[in-house]
Amino acid sequence: MITGTLLFQSLILGVLLGGLYALLAAGLTLYFGIMRVVMLAHAAFIILAAYIAWRFSTATGLDPMISLVFTIPLFFGIGFAIQRWLISRLKPATMTMMSVLITFAIALIIEGLLGQVFTGTQRRINLPYGASSVDFFGAAIPVVQIISFVLAGLSLIALYLVLKKTRFGRALRATIQHREAAQLVGIDTNRTAGLGFGLGLATAAVGGTALSLQATIFPSLHWHWIGPLMAIIVVGGLGSVPGAAIAALLLGIIRVMLELWWTPTWAQTIFYLALFLTLMVRPQGFFGGRLAQRF
Amino acid sequence: MRSASDERTRPAPALSAAAGGVGGTSRLRPVIAIAVVVAVLALWPSVAPNAYMLSAGVVVLNYAVLATGWNIMGGFTGYISLGHVAFFGLGSYGTGLLVIHTGMNWLLATLVSALAVAVITVPIGFAALRVRGSSFVIVTIALVLVLQLIFQSWSVVTGGSGGLVVPRPFPDMLRPEHHETFFYIFLALLAVTLLVWTVIDRSRFGASLKGVREDEDKAESLGAPTGKLKLIAFVISAFFVAVAGGFYALWFADLDPLFQFRIILSSWIVLMALLGGVRYLFGPLLGAIVVGSALEYFVLEHGDTQFHLVATGLLLGLVVLFLPDGVLTGVAQLFRRFRPEATSIREVSAEDLRRQQEEQEAPQQPTTSKEASDDRG
Repeated sequence: MITGTLLFQSLILGVLLGGLYALLAAGLTLYFGIMRVVMLAHAAFIILAAYIAWRFSTATGLDPMISLVFTIPLFFGIGFAIQRWLISRLKPATMTMMSVLITFAIALIIEGLLGQVFTGTQRRINLPYGASSVDFFGAAIPVVQIISFVLAGLSLIALYLVLKKTRFGRALRATIQHREAAQLVGIDTNRTAGLGFGLGLATAAVGGTALSLQATIFPSLHWHWIGPLMAIIVVGGLGSVPGAAIAALLLGIIRVMLELWWTPTWAQTIFYLALFLTLMVRPQGFFGGRLAQRF
Repeated sequence: MRSASDERTRPAPALSAAAGGVGGTSRLRPVIAIAVVVAVLALWPSVAPNAYMLSAGVVVLNYAVLATGWNIMGGFTGYISLGHVAFFGLGSYGTGLLVIHTGMNWLLATLVSALAVAVITVPIGFAALRVRGSSFVIVTIALVLVLQLIFQSWSVVTGGSGGLVVPRPFPDMLRPEHHETFFYIFLALLAVTLLVWTVIDRSRFGASLKGVREDEDKAESLGAPTGKLKLIAFVISAFFVAVAGGFYALWFADLDPLFQFRIILSSWIVLMALLGGVRYLFGPLLGAIVVGSALEYFVLEHGDTQFHLVATGLLLGLVVLFLPDGVLTGVAQLFRRFRPEATSIREVSAEDLRRQQEEQEAPQQPTTSKEASDDRG
């Protein structure tokens, strides 16, 4: 029986899930804006961060969120390295396709190494607050979901501030908008693009840690994440961060609501349905600007 | 066997010689080459030491068909699909379900299911190809992921994770005979796929597709309906992959959604085609033999570990970074070093071209017009 409380609870859970999706999709959008690259390894890095958080927490007994202190700089460095040493080596003419293959290869390597080191066993962090929930106007909301939403929200605000208020953010946006013009006003676009990639991958560190709080993780889990994330950035319009955020929230809510009637597996197909319909009806996405037209 | 477009970019004397022979040997050459290659491959059952090696041969031929079929889309248009395993899985399940529920003849069932897959591919390709590259990649991967979900969940029809057992088409055959029969069936399919590739390669349709690969805007402005052509290539490509899936279902006789729709198989297909060289008729076949044998060897020696993911990833990364045009291109370039006049248009960057043109325009410079005209070819 579906009651009003249940609907309300689903709505809240949908918003919380959508917030996490928004953060993860923001990273994907950032790469696309900078290099027109669909970064397939993004979700693999998310799972890698989740594994690091799990390992850290089981080894030290500390809260998994403390692992962010070193995963964020580590992922930032890896992102910078991937852009400078792998992506920028590719020929511009075949960049779109070859970069997909490179990032696909990275995803396979990460999945394979995680499987080698930690085996395929499903892992979950045991948190003291793992099973507790908060009563919110009659809806029971798990604490872990609230924490991961807050983490995602804070990182999105930080990302927004970096992009809008700092000198580096202005340089990055200029690089995204028009590379040659950015070079003309003296921006080192190569370095900026590398740092932008680092920023994108740093969001994967936060997202992965947030995910590790609430989900059971296994090496091939990243395929379950990359599909929805790609759907979100297409629905939102490739390259548009606000578009991705809106699409993430909407699709997150719809997905959780659908679970009232459908099994989670069938509810998951909503992302692919949305992707397909968007490309049929409005291939540039619903909130995409100039960038999305041609890609 | 080089792609026909590369032949055309040869310098004038070679071109006219080739043009003179178009009616006779030049058109037959790839057909003869296919016949020779197929005849050589057909020797395998008689030299294979045991039934296991024979079955490994079937697997490798299956890869070869997948990679060559993939190359009808990937090689001509440059659109790299990571979703062809979806057509493989659909073809295998379609064939299996038809044979189980209607008792149809196995060959007919395979063709019917492959045609159905081709029909399904039309709206998918339409959505995927409406915008350039990135969305195509996203849709093809998403297709595999969503089909995995559907075929696992919809267990009433597909048997779910429990698997779907397909009755064997030749029930009274012993195992080695069964492998041998399917070896020849896959070989015939490979021959047909290679023939179709070479026919497209030499057609106007193929020339337009290559235009898409080299510069889609220019191809469009020359009047090629690129959207429609890409879609046709995609559907043909999916059809052959689906036929291979159908034969695989009949041969292997046990289908599991996680195995039939595993995305790693997609990456193997791409790796094989790229490693061999997508511009060559036999490139994907060569890649399939190399990668396929390596995979079979690994499974035999080390069992099924996570390491094959790492190895595939590393190899794919290395090929993309250092050998994006495949080994055959590398070999051809090595040969061409000793034949300075035979240069392909792609080996000259826009920068070189500009420099050469400037040299040509300057009157006091020694003439390099021969090279420059070759480059415009």
